[in-house]
Amino acid sequence: MTWHVSEDDLRLYAQGELAPPLLWSADAHLTGCAPCRARLAETADPVALDAAWERLDAELDAPRPSTVERLLVRLGVADHTARLLAATPVLRRSWLLSVLFLLVMTVLAVRMVGQPMLFLALAPLLPLAGVALSYGPSLDPTYEMAVVAPLHGFRLLMIRTVAVLTAGLVCNGAATLALPGYGLLAVAWLLPALALTGTGLALSTRLGSVLAPSLVGGGWLALLAVGELQTRTHETLAPFTAAGQAAAAGVAAVAALLLYQGRDRFDARPLGGFRDGGAV
Amino acid sequence: MTTASASASGPVPGHGGRGASGPATVTATDLSLRFGGTRALDGVSLRLSHGVTGLLGPNGAGKTTLLRVLATAVPPDGGRFTALGHDPGTPSGRLALRRTLGYLPQNPGFHPDFTAFDFVDYVAILKELTDRTARLGEVRRVLEAVDLSEVRGKRLKRLSGGMRQRVALAAALVGDPGFLVLDEPTVGLDPEQRMRFRELIAQAGEGRTVLLSTHQTEDVAMLCHRVVVLARGRVRFEGAPAELTARAAGRVWSSAERDPNALAGWRTGMGAFRNVGDPPKGADLVEPTLEDGYLLVLDGDDAAVGA
Repeated sequence: MTWHVSEDDLRLYAQGELAPPLLWSADAHLTGCAPCRARLAETADPVALDAAWERLDAELDAPRPSTVERLLVRLGVADHTARLLAATPVLRRSWLLSVLFLLVMTVLAVRMVGQPMLFLALAPLLPLAGVALSYGPSLDPTYEMAVVAPLHGFRLLMIRTVAVLTAGLVCNGAATLALPGYGLLAVAWLLPALALTGTGLALSTRLGSVLAPSLVGGGWLALLAVGELQTRTHETLAPFTAAGQAAAAGVAAVAALLLYQGRDRFDARPLGGFRDGGAV
Repeated sequence: MTTASASASGPVPGHGGRGASGPATVTATDLSLRFGGTRALDGVSLRLSHGVTGLLGPNGAGKTTLLRVLATAVPPDGGRFTALGHDPGTPSGRLALRRTLGYLPQNPGFHPDFTAFDFVDYVAILKELTDRTARLGEVRRVLEAVDLSEVRGKRLKRLSGGMRQRVALAAALVGDPGFLVLDEPTVGLDPEQRMRFRELIAQAGEGRTVLLSTHQTEDVAMLCHRVVVLARGRVRFEGAPAELTARAAGRVWSSAERDPNALAGWRTGMGAFRNVGDPPKGADLVEPTLEDGYLLVLDGDDAAVGA
């Protein structure tokens, strides 16, 4: 045994106040360390000790959390929130690898062509798609159970949105670092990404979790196509100019406000019906 | 009283009267819901009390829609209902009902990488059990209740269909809900699994209000103290299973050949034909079953009138 549970942690453990991941470490250690168990018995009053043993019993029954969950808890995320995030389809490794692959190919294409527009056009769509697919009947197999659960639908949506948005922005940010020659222009995807994601979410209570982001994504591509037609060669497309960025920031702010105002709608009815097609 | 007098929103046999056991815990009045041009629910009124109530009906009858409405997954277009004293028409009433609701959907989705324990734990979090110790204890309790403690660490994709259904039932039981809504939980199970599931549902019905949607009249005969028959979005019958069986009294007969005038007829294992409908004079009447009563009620209002 290379270490033992400290007096402070033992006292907190006996009082049921030790939080993960220290709690998990203490649980694992106490099962194999008789001296620490004896110290725990001296530290705690009998009632608290019984509760601690019961807790230990329950912990031992619980399967080991996944790598992602353990990482999230170590980053300070509450264990129940980490479990909610672990159930987010688009945070699975296969999805993240697909996004990374897409970004790598895009960066390579940008470097070959010597023009960043392909990346700037694509990058805002990735967080939009990721957030759209993280909540709703299309990809969340437990959506119907989540809808009737007392946990506020908007809260679940926001937990997943923040996580998916963070993952998406980190991926995009890494791709941006691979395009150092374009200066600030290479981060001009950020505000459009927030605007598209916010608008897609705000519209999803009315149009459903598939149609809303699809329309928003389609609108973005249409905007770029129109901009391309009206812009001379080697000029920056309108959404990535200073005025375009200001407009994107405005849209993002308005969308966030509308989303917040309509938060109760996420509890009132399902987004666009269920997987079996019934009940819209 | 006959079902002929039962309008879409009006009373049906047994409604709130004979056969009812205990005070109503769930009361629905004139519920309606339309999808596009289809009336999925057309003025459904019913009362549930403690114990297991069976919901029978053919495909497309509106059973799943009714269960989704009662489980607060979908709001009705019209009508109202209260459950355990809560009115889900208001945000606070809906939240209060959800806190005491257990719901097993027809297709309970599973995250394939989750173990049985992970999945039930996930549902427990959705049910606001955030204290880790209390939550883990509750997950253990419900997994024990459905006899799945031994496989708690197995991934769901490696469990049999019957075991996955039991995991879903365990998830529905988290938090000891007062109102349990089960949508065809025995479908696709083999006879042994079905019997095991019936035991679990019977246990769950003790001290709770359970609404069980099923295609199996056997489930109703074995488990339910009340039965509701739904067809084309309307309640066709509501009462005790014995009352539904009694609908077929004097209307089931045996013959050497299939009677062309019978509503339904089939050759039994003994070789004779069992006919359901209006028997000819001198017919060899036999004891009816719940299924016979169900068939007659489904035949439509006319058949029910004659009962």
